[in-house]
Amino acid sequence: MTWIFPRSLRGRLLLSVWGLTTAVWFAAAMLTWFDARHELDELLDAHLAQAAALLVVQQARETDEDDRAIDAPSLHRYAPKVAFQVFQDGQLIQRSANAPSKPMIDREARPHPAFVTVAIEGIPWRVFAAKGMRGAMEVYVGERLDSRESILWAILRSTMWPMTIALPLLVAAIWWAITSAISPLRNLGQALARRQPDVLEPVVVPGAPSEMTPALEALNGLLTRIEALMANERRFTADAAHELRTPIAAIRAQAEAALGAADPGERQHALKATLQGCDRAARLVAQLLTLSRIESGTAMSMEVINLAVVAKSVVAELAPLALRREQSIGVDAGADCAVRGDQTLMSVLVRNLVDNAIRYSPRGASINISLASGPSGTTLLVDDSGPGMAETDIQRLGERFFRGAGRAEDGSGLGWSIVQRIAALHHATLQVTRSGSLGGTSVAIAFPACIDSPGRQGT
Amino acid sequence: MRILLVEDDLLLGDGLRARLRQLGFLVDWVQDGEAAERELIAGQHAAAVLDLGLPRKDGMDVLAALRRAGMTIPILVLTARDAVADRIRGLDVGADDFVIKPVDADELAARLRALIRRSHGRPQERLVIGNVVLDPAARVVERGGVQIDLSLREFDLLHALMLNCGRVLSREQLEAHIYGWGQEVESNAIEVHVHHLRRKLGGPVIQTVRGVGYRVPGAGSSA
Repeated sequence: MTWIFPRSLRGRLLLSVWGLTTAVWFAAAMLTWFDARHELDELLDAHLAQAAALLVVQQARETDEDDRAIDAPSLHRYAPKVAFQVFQDGQLIQRSANAPSKPMIDREARPHPAFVTVAIEGIPWRVFAAKGMRGAMEVYVGERLDSRESILWAILRSTMWPMTIALPLLVAAIWWAITSAISPLRNLGQALARRQPDVLEPVVVPGAPSEMTPALEALNGLLTRIEALMANERRFTADAAHELRTPIAAIRAQAEAALGAADPGERQHALKATLQGCDRAARLVAQLLTLSRIESGTAMSMEVINLAVVAKSVVAELAPLALRREQSIGVDAGADCAVRGDQTLMSVLVRNLVDNAIRYSPRGASINISLASGPSGTTLLVDDSGPGMAETDIQRLGERFFRGAGRAEDGSGLGWSIVQRIAALHHATLQVTRSGSLGGTSVAIAFPACIDSPGRQGT
Repeated sequence: MRILLVEDDLLLGDGLRARLRQLGFLVDWVQDGEAAERELIAGQHAAAVLDLGLPRKDGMDVLAALRRAGMTIPILVLTARDAVADRIRGLDVGADDFVIKPVDADELAARLRALIRRSHGRPQERLVIGNVVLDPAARVVERGGVQIDLSLREFDLLHALMLNCGRVLSREQLEAHIYGWGQEVESNAIEVHVHHLRRKLGGPVIQTVRGVGYRVPGAGSSA
């Protein structure tokens, strides 16, 4: 089909409009042909009948006269194509010059009056046969069919030739109309083709028809979104590169210190710190990747999950870290804390919160994770007995890479960005306050109630 | 030379402190903006390495406050912010040098020495008083072309006096120059160091101003 139907819109429009125009033109011609032919037949048949009637009437008056002229003169150039015969009691009493002497129709075969098409000397004639009033008289009036055909052709010629001239003009006009109508589309294509990949301003097509508006709006909307995404990406890359400078600077300074160390203890210390710096850089890179994956919004499945199960497994995973720091850690959760969300992201969120609490609380501190489920939703609380955060630091928490004061740990400052992003994706609200129960920092994340009953898999 | 290192990153601060110590600096290290401002206003350091992204008070604010207070101490800003606009702003606010992380600690040391030198109005690296030449980079002192062995503190003491040649430095000022935090200072330590220096250098290089302190003659007087 594709090779018959062109791929371009202009080609399709031209082909279909041209095709339809030609078809309609031919249909009109056919209709004219049949209609004219019918009308012509009717008219000429009526003339034949009229002529026959005249002959009958004339003959009836002239019966008593003796001087009967057998042959009537032919008076018109069309006359040879028309013929008549008058028979009285089977005797030919009058005929036109071109009429045969025998009746044009076998009188036994046909009842009178009737129209019959017969072949006379191989030429088709249209013949009307009529009986006189006194029975014995028969009148035949005939006309050559080819004369009808030539009249018909003449009529058709006169009606068709303007159309025949009009058709190519029409085709050209259609071509022009379609080409100019779709020119905004072509302009759009050229504008897009000329565009540099980093130019994301809205596309403006002058004189664009209203049919193109939805597509243009969608395109510009897409461009705007891409621009925002790219700006975000650029900022992220800059932030990330920027933030990697400090760990690299630390690794470098420690390595230099190790190289220049005079005593083995000092060298040992510097080398250990170098390794620590490498671990931290690796952790930062891992967190950057996590954040970038979250921000790019790759496939997130929203299903009903039990936050209590997630919290317990994360705490089980991180408990050794807390125990090494002689911290006590515990989960305080009911059996069912249904939340709609992505299982993996939820684990990342809880892990970041708990990991932060462990790392930023001193040795021997207490950390408590509690879950409360109510009709308005589920709230996750992570409390610690650490030093807590200053009000100004809490306000700056949202900033990427921000780290609070006096942090004796090697946090990247990205954990909180990750937590914020995941919370936002789950329409959860975040609140950092001073812990009422433990005195340190308290982070509360309130998830909206999930409509599905717990345990049933959501869509 | 006693410098203040302001860096909130523990690993980086620790590494820089270790390396700068190896290169002969007396390094005091603080980790937040408020402490940095307090220490710098106290004026005990020859120069400071200042990070910008600091907790409690931003490095840029510290710098501005310091300059407002009329402190002329050379400040080397060490930062991860590498945008030209940041650098311009830093220099305009009052930074003397701007170094992007990561930095070669030896280069950092050289820049600090240059800053300190210039802050004392000396364009040359080597300090010369009579036939005594002190090279702060190599940490070497020569007298008449012959290298003399000096202890760390003796070197720092002579360096401080030679940098401020012509000016009288009190005992307290000298102590501030050669002792970092937490280093026990005995009551007659300066006298002892001066005594040793005089013996090693020979001749009246270090003069005593009774009841005030010590000085080496100004560059114009005997160089």
